[in-house]
Amino acid sequence: MHRHDAEAFDHDAALAACAQGDRAALRRLYEREGRYLLGVALRIVRDRATAEDVLHDAFMNIWTRAATFDASRGAGRAWMYGIVRHRALDAVRSGARTVSADEDVLDSLQADNPPAAPDMAEAFALRADLGRLEECLARLDTPKRNCVLFAYLEGCTHAEIAERLGSPLGSVKAWIRRGLTSLRECLA
Amino acid sequence: MTAPDDDDELAADYVLGTLPAERRRAVQARLPVDAALRAAVDAWEARLLPLTALAEPVEPSAALWARIENALPPAPVRAFMKASLWRNWWGSLVFWRAAAATGFVAASAIAFLPSTGLFAPAAPRYMVVLVAPNGTAPGWVVQTSSASTLRLVPLGATAVPEQRSLQFWTKADDWNAPVSLGLVQPGRSLEVKIDRLPPLVPNQLFEITLEPHNGSPTGRPTGPILYIGRLVKLS
Repeated sequence: MHRHDAEAFDHDAALAACAQGDRAALRRLYEREGRYLLGVALRIVRDRATAEDVLHDAFMNIWTRAATFDASRGAGRAWMYGIVRHRALDAVRSGARTVSADEDVLDSLQADNPPAAPDMAEAFALRADLGRLEECLARLDTPKRNCVLFAYLEGCTHAEIAERLGSPLGSVKAWIRRGLTSLRECLA
Repeated sequence: MTAPDDDDELAADYVLGTLPAERRRAVQARLPVDAALRAAVDAWEARLLPLTALAEPVEPSAALWARIENALPPAPVRAFMKASLWRNWWGSLVFWRAAAATGFVAASAIAFLPSTGLFAPAAPRYMVVLVAPNGTAPGWVVQTSSASTLRLVPLGATAVPEQRSLQFWTKADDWNAPVSLGLVQPGRSLEVKIDRLPPLVPNQLFEITLEPHNGSPTGRPTGPILYIGRLVKLS
């Protein structure tokens, strides 16, 4: 784990200061998280200039919405990562990388029975300490783990995951559904 | 609050990122007004957040912070109540009893306006009458009571749907976007400190929009304009 362990940083307090119009607090958040947030955005949008635009817009958003951030709903750090990821996802989805109608057609051509897990290589090395989530990911079979990581980390649609894994779309959807259900139970 | 299974799946797919654009927009439209869905999304965000550590950090270009800082809007005035207080207020019996007396509040506002507005020693230098976009009946009056304070006074009751709030905004012609002056309680006056805004200018726009319960989630007006008016200078 390469971050956030060296010193405590109070994201919630910095966001509260942003809500009071304290630009230095926004700068502290940027200096603390900017490179990690840009890394998250870049994996999804896969273009450096677009990723920086996403980070720019996300920080505008963090600034203007800081007053509506409700610490009782969750940690400020998760809130910031959510804003960046969803802006990045909005950017690639509105760029029509996905054609949902095709998915529906493909769906209808495929059997309802979710396939058994095929022999599949790990697509991602878990190089960071992910805590409890890592244990729960380890309990998934490889295809489910690959699907969840392709979606969350790379911003892939169902169709893109199916293409990358060389698996039927229906299988990908079933693996994701079951993978998420297992993760939720495991993390409960 | 627990989301139904369907909504929990929807929240999971939204956070994972696999929803197509139109379904993403549908979720985003529901979030401000659907607490159960919001809670489900928050829970999934928290569950999957550790995965962000798998993305290699990338140093932003040196110019990016300057770009961000230059684009920041003027510091918004925070007349906001804390979200939790707001919720308490919304469910408060005391408030609803007070709301029942709104007719009295409105009548007294009209009765007192001439004396506070035109003949008081510290007469306001600026005034706005806010009317419904398609009407002429005034709904609210804005007065400046000093260079640093605005007073928003209701002239009648405004019906607000459940889980919605009134939000007060201003925008001068040369600003990029409106700035929030805070949430407004229907039928109640609001004092707003404006000393952190640029000085008022004639013709500056003021409006009240209908927004989600905790105010606009984007920092800009998202709902319909209920009342609107422009600043006039009183000579």
